[in-house]
Amino acid sequence: MDDLDKRILDIIQSNYPLSPRPYADIGAQVGLTEAEALARVRALKDAGVIRRMGANFQSRKLGWHSTLCAARVPEDKLDLFTAEINRHVGVTHNYLRRHAYNVWFTYIGEDAGTVSAKLRAITARTGIPILNLPAEKMFKIKVDFKMQREGDD
Amino acid sequence: MAKLTFSDTEKAALAILQRDLPDSATPFADVAAQTGLSEAEVLALAQRLKDDGVIRRFGATLRHQKAGYGHNAMVAWYVEEGRDLDEIGAIFTARPEISHCYVRRSCMDWPYNFYTMIHGKSPGDCLRVVEELIAATGVPQYDILESVKELKKTSMVYFAKDDGENDDPV
Repeated sequence: MDDLDKRILDIIQSNYPLSPRPYADIGAQVGLTEAEALARVRALKDAGVIRRMGANFQSRKLGWHSTLCAARVPEDKLDLFTAEINRHVGVTHNYLRRHAYNVWFTYIGEDAGTVSAKLRAITARTGIPILNLPAEKMFKIKVDFKMQREGDD
Repeated sequence: MAKLTFSDTEKAALAILQRDLPDSATPFADVAAQTGLSEAEVLALAQRLKDDGVIRRFGATLRHQKAGYGHNAMVAWYVEEGRDLDEIGAIFTARPEISHCYVRRSCMDWPYNFYTMIHGKSPGDCLRVVEELIAATGVPQYDILESVKELKKTSMVYFAKDDGENDDPV
């Protein structure tokens, strides 16, 4: 990944142009042709640096409910529990973490009642209690990472 | 909050935009062609939802490991009653290494109420940030939840496509 790639990533993470020819616009910002800009983005996708490109919705503004969940899962039940959790479309992130509460996942559903019911059903099937920790206040959500160090420009 | 409503053609367009843009020089024209909207309507819909904050970000999502930010630690903090949550939140959110910061409901089994997601290029990076935050906030009770393994990471599917893909979501 060279400096041009990093500049392109810094643009398209938050400010992907909502325009008919987005790669022409990206190219114009970094001094490349449209074809060159598109080729670089394709290469970054092929290399796996870019996971996807599209809209990231604020679930709350769509009227949906999201929560963070935690469970203490014994080693011998980990595969079973993970399989049960991961088949839910509402589970978008799931991490094994170094802690007595070792499985941490997020659940997004149409409303709080639906999410609670889904979590109770998982507990009924697996025998593992789940902590339901919905947000009461959001201070920050930012998931773009600056590629260029300060001073690079 | 009331649910937003969309027409069927808008839902079809959003079903594509929530996943991955078509790989082409004119991705929005391609979305339009697949959904029956015009290119201008697709762009206007995306712009309006972005302006309203319904789309909180439109663009590339990176794999952090490959982009050089391979480590993350979720830190759960116990902030005592009486402390100014906004003041502590401001200290946390000022750090560029912190991507997410929430106050969450606590319970008997889990007293922590403040959460920060810290990213770094090494585990040492995350620990150094935690130490600086302890000093800055004066919050001494916390638990570090270091990631061991990613078990699932995907983007939420809010808009089902009409191809039966989500006929039986659990």
